Amino acid sequence: MTQHSLGEFEELVLLMVAAQHDEAYGVTILEGLEEKIKKKVNISAVHVALKRMEDKGFVKSRFGGITEDRGGRRKKFYVITALGKKCWIHSMI
Amino acid sequence: MSIENLSTVYFEAMSAPPKYPLRFLRWFCREDSLDEIEGDLTEVFLKQSATAPRKAKWNFGWSVIKYFRPEFIKQFKQQPNTYGMYKSYFKISLRQLIKNKTFSVINISVLTLGFSCFLLLSLYLHDELSFDMFHRDANTIYRITQQERQDNGTLRNISSVAPTIGKEVREQFPEVEDMVRLSAFGRVTLGNDPTNRTHERALSADANFFTFFDFPLVEGDAKTALKEPFTIVVSETIKEKYFGAGAALGKQIWSGLRRAGQPVYLTVSGVMKNFPKNSHLQMDILFSEATWHSLYNDYTQYVTTEWVDTEYTTYLKIKPQSNTALLSTRIEALVKNNYPADREFRSSFTLQPLRKIHTNSSQLESAAEQFNVNSIKPFYLYTFAALGFVLLLTACLNYMNLSTAMAIKRTREIGTRKTLGAPKNQMVVQFITDSVLFSLLSLLLSVGLAYLVLPWINVFTNKEISISSLPFEWLVMVVAVILSVGILAALYPAFIATRVSIVDALKREIKIGGSSLSVRKALLVMQFAISVMMIASTLIIYQQLNYLREKDLGFSHENLVVIDVNSRNLRRNFETVKSEFGKPAEVLRVAASTRVPGEWKSFPVATTKSNQNTMGSEMIFVGIDRDFLETYKIKLLAGRTIEDPVADSLKIVVTQLAVEQLGLTDPIGQVVEIPRVRYGERMEELDTPFRVEIIGVVENFYFESLHRKQLPVIFGALNTAIQVIDYYTLQINTSNWNNTLETLKAINHKIDPDTPLEYTFLDARFEEMYLADARRGQIFLVLSIIVVIIASLGLFALVSYSVESRLKEIGVRKVMGASVSSIVALISKEFLVLVIIAGAIGLPIAGYYMQSWLQEFAYHIPFGVLVFAEALLITLVIAFITIGVRTARAAVLNPVNSLRSE
Repeated sequence: MTQHSLGEFEELVLLMVAAQHDEAYGVTILEGLEEKIKKKVNISAVHVALKRMEDKGFVKSRFGGITEDRGGRRKKFYVITALGKKCWIHSMI
Repeated sequence: MSIENLSTVYFEAMSAPPKYPLRFLRWFCREDSLDEIEGDLTEVFLKQSATAPRKAKWNFGWSVIKYFRPEFIKQFKQQPNTYGMYKSYFKISLRQLIKNKTFSVINISVLTLGFSCFLLLSLYLHDELSFDMFHRDANTIYRITQQERQDNGTLRNISSVAPTIGKEVREQFPEVEDMVRLSAFGRVTLGNDPTNRTHERALSADANFFTFFDFPLVEGDAKTALKEPFTIVVSETIKEKYFGAGAALGKQIWSGLRRAGQPVYLTVSGVMKNFPKNSHLQMDILFSEATWHSLYNDYTQYVTTEWVDTEYTTYLKIKPQSNTALLSTRIEALVKNNYPADREFRSSFTLQPLRKIHTNSSQLESAAEQFNVNSIKPFYLYTFAALGFVLLLTACLNYMNLSTAMAIKRTREIGTRKTLGAPKNQMVVQFITDSVLFSLLSLLLSVGLAYLVLPWINVFTNKEISISSLPFEWLVMVVAVILSVGILAALYPAFIATRVSIVDALKREIKIGGSSLSVRKALLVMQFAISVMMIASTLIIYQQLNYLREKDLGFSHENLVVIDVNSRNLRRNFETVKSEFGKPAEVLRVAASTRVPGEWKSFPVATTKSNQNTMGSEMIFVGIDRDFLETYKIKLLAGRTIEDPVADSLKIVVTQLAVEQLGLTDPIGQVVEIPRVRYGERMEELDTPFRVEIIGVVENFYFESLHRKQLPVIFGALNTAIQVIDYYTLQINTSNWNNTLETLKAINHKIDPDTPLEYTFLDARFEEMYLADARRGQIFLVLSIIVVIIASLGLFALVSYSVESRLKEIGVRKVMGASVSSIVALISKEFLVLVIIAGAIGLPIAGYYMQSWLQEFAYHIPFGVLVFAEALLITLVIAFITIGVRTARAAVLNPVNSLRSE
């Protein structure tokens, strides 16, 4: 199961993605996390976790439209996949 | 733009993410993650900067650094492979280098020559400029110099002052932090072994000498070494000589000084490291001032009351930011107030910074030669700096010339590259890679070469130069100059290459012609202009040196041995001493005199007045005996010479020049008056003016170095009021000098067992006067040979290129019946014209420069056109040989070979 293992922080991020279904992107995840665990989190950590989970197939992503307020950069929204859910449930057992 | 808009712009500028982290992020981050990362970072940043702008910026930067990890870094290697391209440039440069062996060897050797000359000259200049800078307080140390107006209106510039000045200045002026005085007292005889005693030059210094300057002591304490009377500090060399390898501190040594009739034993209170060569002070033995206070009763009074004598070289350490001009006027006022009432005060004082002493003392008289060792005129420093750049320039011109020729040869490569879509700057990079490769190789070789030749240069210039003595900044600068010039040299060929059209390049139809050739011709003209300049200068220098050596000095200095009188025994009963020395068969004649030509002690200069010249003129005064004129082969024109020291004590013999200056028409029997005499630094009024009668006139002669204008000379009797006997001159005819010298030593020992014989060969002494000039002449010769070699190699390469591209033409000409010589003439002609143009440019510059060099000598060769014609001829011959060798080889080729190559 090494391929489908889920780290502690990854698990938290995965939960946030699941909770903010289809509206989850870097900043909202970060804020959600900070609110729930009452700890400062660096955005890079969130991105690393998201990237790893996407590579493993736990989450999938799509790009949002271009907006002015982020320096013209698109948002990348994440949703949890079926595999992601299964793996999360598996890790709980 | 409205105010509102402005404020928004301002706000946005304030709240924009920090520039450099963002740029860094964009540079390294993968394209597919960049949108997300930069977007999110910006969003977080904007939110945070509303409350804590500064913290937000820090956070942004920190986060960017955190993204610098493998997941987000783009794969640089899969970008268009620039690394590979550089590899290819390098490979092609290397292949070109190996393919054109002659070209590469010429190019690298020329660059190496140029670079090493530049490097060595930089080292030399650095050494000259670093004189005395090893003292910790070098920038706050000054030497007091005195300018004294003379009777005839000229200024005498002296580097030493009266003993009281230093002391009073130290006590009265608060900006003076410290002061030290040095004085020279000639020589002292030393040695515990009576059979092995020698005369050593010595100085004496105030007790604080070793704390004032930073000359390190090997033994002894810097603070106390010069405190006690009868103590000396000696250099390691002297210690070695008298005490051998062990420690010498506290040991005693016999000296020629006498105290109550008994020889004085001196105690070694310190051993100093031999002085570094780049110090203007050079000394081996240093006496404590206290010695003189104990030895002579009136010495203490002398040094505390004497305001006139200029015997003490005085150094001051001044508080930083003090006004030195003001201080020197205050010194002047101080001296003026204390000057003896019966003497006219006509001096001014200057503070000479320590760091300028080495380069700015050529006009200064000093109390002893130890005070201004190897002083050099700035003129020579500029010359050597200019030479360094000129050599670097010729080497680079040569490189440019050759690479341009090669660039045209490499047209196929250029064409291929262009066809395959190489942009212009790629061609430039290729040529710069070439040039960098050549420059680096040559730089490495030249450093190696410099290492190899430095030991010789050190022996030759009597210096201690090493590459490691160059400070880091200088080294960086020298290497930067060398490399940047090397790279700049590549720009022109690169420019030529980029202009070539692809079709021409592939058809190999580029002819040398048009602007590229004229530029290369211009480069060659410059090189040869420099060569002609150097050749002309070298010729003039050698003619002048020859002139100095060959000039009829008006007396003979060959086969003369001069014996220095150092003791009373030798001075007393000079007639007996003369006859003793005259006994051996080899000694043809013996003369006694107070001074000898090529004097190393200073000549006493007598102010002489006549009825026609009431102002008085300065004339050298030498006391002689009856054999002097004959020994020196000085021609007597009228009257007779001094015959008896007593009967003729008020008679003099003068030179024609003296007669002229005294304004006399019939000099014999005239009476002249000598009111005062100057002994080196000291001016002495004679109590009763010395009135003497002229009894003879001799031809003019040159007693001193021809750098200086000669003063007229007066010969008087020995032991007059002016001077006592100091030398015997022996005219010797021998085939075995060693035996003769042994004989002389034995005679000396018989007369005076205490003091060793001190002798000098007069012709060697005269050689020595022009040693520095001869050395500079040799340096110039070597450098001009290098310049000529470089220029000739450049010419050779250019001619061979020209010949190669005209092989077919030469073949056709031969088929039509042209002779070898007509072909050589055809090709040589155009290049020889260039050399003549070069001459027209180079010779006037050389003329201007050499004229100012000849001004260094009071007597010099006339400035003629002939020498320039010679220089041009030499250059033409060298150029012709270079061209001839290459063209002749092409001209004798069988035309079948060259014409068949199609």
